[in-house]
Amino acid sequence: MFSVLSYGRLVARAVLGGLSQTDPRAGGGGSGGDYGLVTAGCGFGKDFRKGLLKKGACYGDDACFVARHRSADVLGVADGVGGWRDYGVDPSQFSGTLMRTCERLVKEGRFVPSNPIGILTTSYCELLQNKVPLLGSLGRENKWRPFLFLGSSTACIVVLDRTSHRLHTANLGDSGFLVVRGGEVVHRSDEQQHYFNTPFQLSIAPPEAEGVVLSDSPDAADSTSFDVQLGDIILTATDGLFDNMPDYMILQELKKLKNSNYESIQQTARSIAEQAHELAYDPNYMSPFAQFACDNGLNVRGKQSLGRS
Amino acid sequence: MPPVFPMLTVLTMFYYLCLRRRARTAARGEMMNSHRAIESNSRTSPLNAEVVQYAKEVVDFSSHYGSENSMTYTMWNLAGVPNVFPSSGDFTQTAVFRTYGTWWDQCPSASLPFKRTPPNFQSQDYVELTFEQQVYPTAVHVLETYHPGAVIRILACSANPYSPSPPAEVRWEILWSERPTKVNASQARQFKPCIKQINFPTNLIRLEVNSSLLDYYTELDAVVLHGMKDKPVLSLKTSLIDMNDLEEDDYEENNDCGLDNLNKKLSSTALREGPNNGYFDKLPYELIQLILNHLTLPDLCRLAQTCKLLNQHCYDPLQYIHLNLQPYWAKLNDTSLEFLQARCTLVQWLNLSWTGNRGFISVAGFSRFLKVCGSELVRLELSCSHFLNETCLEIISEMCPHLQELNLSSCDKLPPQAFNHIAKLCGLKRLVLYRTKVEQTALLSILNFCSELQHLSLGSCVMIEDYDVIASMIGAKCKKLRTLDLWRCKNITENGIAELASGCPLLEELDLGWCPTLQSSTGCFAKLARQLPNLQKLFLTANRSVCDTDIEELACNCTRLRQLDILGTRMVSPVSLRKLLESCKDLSLLDVSFCSQIDNRAVLEFNGSFPNVFIKKSFTQ
Repeated sequence: MFSVLSYGRLVARAVLGGLSQTDPRAGGGGSGGDYGLVTAGCGFGKDFRKGLLKKGACYGDDACFVARHRSADVLGVADGVGGWRDYGVDPSQFSGTLMRTCERLVKEGRFVPSNPIGILTTSYCELLQNKVPLLGSLGRENKWRPFLFLGSSTACIVVLDRTSHRLHTANLGDSGFLVVRGGEVVHRSDEQQHYFNTPFQLSIAPPEAEGVVLSDSPDAADSTSFDVQLGDIILTATDGLFDNMPDYMILQELKKLKNSNYESIQQTARSIAEQAHELAYDPNYMSPFAQFACDNGLNVRGKQSLGRS
Repeated sequence: MPPVFPMLTVLTMFYYLCLRRRARTAARGEMMNSHRAIESNSRTSPLNAEVVQYAKEVVDFSSHYGSENSMTYTMWNLAGVPNVFPSSGDFTQTAVFRTYGTWWDQCPSASLPFKRTPPNFQSQDYVELTFEQQVYPTAVHVLETYHPGAVIRILACSANPYSPSPPAEVRWEILWSERPTKVNASQARQFKPCIKQINFPTNLIRLEVNSSLLDYYTELDAVVLHGMKDKPVLSLKTSLIDMNDLEEDDYEENNDCGLDNLNKKLSSTALREGPNNGYFDKLPYELIQLILNHLTLPDLCRLAQTCKLLNQHCYDPLQYIHLNLQPYWAKLNDTSLEFLQARCTLVQWLNLSWTGNRGFISVAGFSRFLKVCGSELVRLELSCSHFLNETCLEIISEMCPHLQELNLSSCDKLPPQAFNHIAKLCGLKRLVLYRTKVEQTALLSILNFCSELQHLSLGSCVMIEDYDVIASMIGAKCKKLRTLDLWRCKNITENGIAELASGCPLLEELDLGWCPTLQSSTGCFAKLARQLPNLQKLFLTANRSVCDTDIEELACNCTRLRQLDILGTRMVSPVSLRKLLESCKDLSLLDVSFCSQIDNRAVLEFNGSFPNVFIKKSFTQ
């Protein structure tokens, strides 16, 4: 069913958070207990191994994390930008480390729930404190792979403030999120792109490539805050999902979500990711990405056929 | 009387005796249970449950490798559950001190050690941790993940930092202490020293470390405190008699009245008139003084109580010219200073580092002492002295006109305005402001007036806005500068370096570690090398742009180089390093950790060709 292809970077990473009541004292009026997120994720990387997502796992070039602190639940995804591969750099190292650092920050409480950009900024600064150099190697074989992480990443962070029932988000690049309530999309992130297919990025450039690499400070992230309700579904994903599956298909899948326990959410996440995956390789399918590309004067089908970006 | 009464009495007595015996066996049985509980560390015994805790918070420490407000290589990583253990290696989520080995004692900025330091005080750094619950400690485990073996002393404090009311009496007790010993493996280990039982509950533990025998930075992951909530019954096993205990000064063995003991010794006591003083009457005054010069302070005070002649000698201010009170930080208080005052009128070197915290020394007490003893003061060490405030600095600046060396390392509670007073000390030759909150204007003022400065440390001074301006001022005013520590000075650029290099040609030591805004492509390192031929120590730690050209310039121009750190650059090849090693015959430390072109094979080759150089290559796993 899934064939191995040597070209094309496809990752569909879907992390679903279903808003549910964590406090069992559901009865009797009042504002009820704190909200909480039940989360599950699924992703497919280049190698096309299906896998349940462990928290903080890195898959393909993408990575994600789920963490909780006293008053907040935090989800994040990061998409390693494939362009660095030409320079002998494994993009997953950067995105993986970025997400792990965010996770650690959250667990230690070094963040403010209403400021998700702060999580990105602080995490970015912490990355710079590593002894391991964060630079790319041009045209050299990367002998020290385990030690070097470098490259670029897009990032999307979603913070649920359990006590105020508000969701705070920060989005840098073409990862993004959707909030679905009652079968409709009520919130979504805006896509940020410099120009077609080159989203805003966080990156640390090698000195020899100064001025050539797109580099935005985390303050160029898009940030929103809004209230959420019980039963809301929050979907964060990298571009592999949004580029290949239009909204109505995503919503169709989410409608099948019967209750907010872990298994059903996991199942839904998996089916969404699988579908996106299939669609990417469907040569006849006009994905949203393809549509957008056409609008920009390119002739594509799916996204995979665009080849390496 | 009917015969039944004696029967009843006998029966009652018999019954009573049986009950008593049963009760007694039961009591003994309970005691046995609690012994077993202590011995087996069981947590299920209802009588005296053992509590195992990770540290809740790090409340004080003397130094760390990481950046302020970071969670990478900072002391705050010591709190909570371990992040890395049992893995070994160089990990960011651990607690790391600023220095290791003897390298900092060998570089030009090293200050002379105080004589008469008691041989059992070897601590170089410390960290204080709190725990949630107060317990009677039964064990303290330290999880070390890299180059273990630095911990040499563990202490417990009787004060509860979380109690709302201030404690009546604060006592520090040494749970375990040992001379620094070399640990051969660099692997992770769970350090489980055998600690002493104490008779007060504690939730404040202090670790003191000495890293002088380590090959690289030690990294600590977590500290575990085992203890009992209730005072344990004395165990049947007697505690091991540690031979070291017998050698220590007895004020450390007297648990209950340590403070009083020290103060008793320091206070003057009346003496009976003796018949004669034996051979001491024959020795000239200066010779007795010379002999007494070798005694540590407590011994001097004890000797003073033996006879009138020795009393006179021991109270002679000439014995107190160099006064090191740091080893006695756990006991030193206002009263001690008062007792010492009369003898300290000629003091020139005074070490009060680590003293006075938790209310031991007050501003008033310090001020009184300094008013009497400050006039001849040349060197004043006040590292981690958190009792200091602005008034204290004002007093120092007024009472110590001859001061040449001032160390305020890690006095991070000092308000920024306190530093304004330092500018009045125009004779300053050495100033250490590592991890303080000194601000730009105060520092510029100091640099303007203290033109005799030879040694300046501004490491991790995070409140300085523009280091280029500072560097410019240094280049303009501090022409005699020999050593400069700009560790983690975030925004210095090639402009600042240029001014430094041209203004301070006498520079022998320059620490530019973790200054990311310096780019080799501007030629700043090459310029440095050409203009500072006296350089002995150069740290360019984690500057990712250091390249072969820079190394070659150093090889050409800085032949006196002894210590070089180029951690984390990808642009330096073994070829240029070989040139450096051949040219700089005095090189003894070369840190090439995380330099991707320098692999282990290259390091081995260098070790073979240049056996006198310690080449450091750290690794993560």
